[in-house]
Amino acid sequence: MSILQTLLFSLFLLLNPVFWCVGADYETVIYKGQKLSILRDSLTQAPLIIRGIESNLLEIKNFSKLSRKEITHTGPLLVNKYKSLLQIEPDQLKLKGAEKISDTWYVSYWQTFRDVIIYESSLGFSIDSRGDIKSLGALLYPHVQAPVTSKVGHEEALKIGQSEIKDFKKLKCILLAESVLIYPVKKKSSIDYYRVYAFNFFPQEALHPASVVGGWAVFIDTQTGKKVLYEELLKPLGCCIPEDWAPPKPEEMKPKW
Amino acid sequence: MVSACKEKAEKPSLPKIGAAAIDFNCQDLEGQAWSLNKVRGKVVLLRFWADWCPYCRYEMPIIDKYYRQLKKEGFLVLAVNVKQSTEVALAFTAQLDVTFPVPLDPDGGLARRYGVYAIPTNFLIDRQGVVREILIGEVFREEKPLRDLLKNYFPLS
Repeated sequence: MSILQTLLFSLFLLLNPVFWCVGADYETVIYKGQKLSILRDSLTQAPLIIRGIESNLLEIKNFSKLSRKEITHTGPLLVNKYKSLLQIEPDQLKLKGAEKISDTWYVSYWQTFRDVIIYESSLGFSIDSRGDIKSLGALLYPHVQAPVTSKVGHEEALKIGQSEIKDFKKLKCILLAESVLIYPVKKKSSIDYYRVYAFNFFPQEALHPASVVGGWAVFIDTQTGKKVLYEELLKPLGCCIPEDWAPPKPEEMKPKW
Repeated sequence: MVSACKEKAEKPSLPKIGAAAIDFNCQDLEGQAWSLNKVRGKVVLLRFWADWCPYCRYEMPIIDKYYRQLKKEGFLVLAVNVKQSTEVALAFTAQLDVTFPVPLDPDGGLARRYGVYAIPTNFLIDRQGVVREILIGEVFREEKPLRDLLKNYFPLS
């Protein structure tokens, strides 16, 4: 491409903002005197990403002296500080994971509704060795309206879930994780919130750490008993097989939610 | 931000070490289009992951460290999110503050084409577009395995 062509192309891009894909959806806001860059979910308007501009979102004093447990309390502090932006309460967070890699801590949470986890919701961030949080990533649901009790019994739902798996008995399928969840289904201009029994089934042979055999996620509506999600699952695979390996218990499994 | 992977070849075929990597067309989280043919000349780590897989999560910062260090030398990471929404992938990558491109594979079609049944799965593709390594499961939780792998292509001490 000649210099002239490059210049003309650059001019064309400048005059056509529709081509500005990267970063085009970010907005700059002043929140309590702090300049922030925010990317919002187009449907819920909840922030997907918040970054501090020329400042950190949070600076934790004496960070190096904090225990792991104390570090996991950072999420509620952050939500409290940016509550009107995030539109959730600190007590709606449930810890998903906290891990130190090199000098950085990575902490993440689910959002809950009446103590029930919202499927695929998240709020997370990294904390550097100085205790600074520069940005956060989140998938939050500000105004959840979902049933708070179940009309369908657990055993009935489990049978319905099992019946969705072809060759369930032949494959010797096992229920490896289950929970009641809030399952948000995005529509064009609104979200349906289902309260579901979430089941993760795997064939017995998938239990071995070296097996790459996958499983299934089946979600059953607690109000109607109808299936609202059926999905094939890839197997999450760790690094090694411990010498004392034994089939995992359901509470030890890493479920898909 | 609507993104998707489209496979070029019609017939499914699993990659083999020493064979040409399957080409594809993908859009990443920022709307940028990616195709293996267009990045020929770079060493590509093609990675398949999902946010609910804990093993996938903790490898990401280490991979990003080497991506930042070596991208000018021709190292490219394409971390393909499998069967999740743009919003899930965006939130996750922001949480980890990673900078490499994240193409989306919402229906898992590309993962199937690459024979991916477990996550994470990584394919190392050389500058000629040939698959040189297939690594299934968590292998980069420590720096050394990735460093040793990249030593074959970049001047790392």
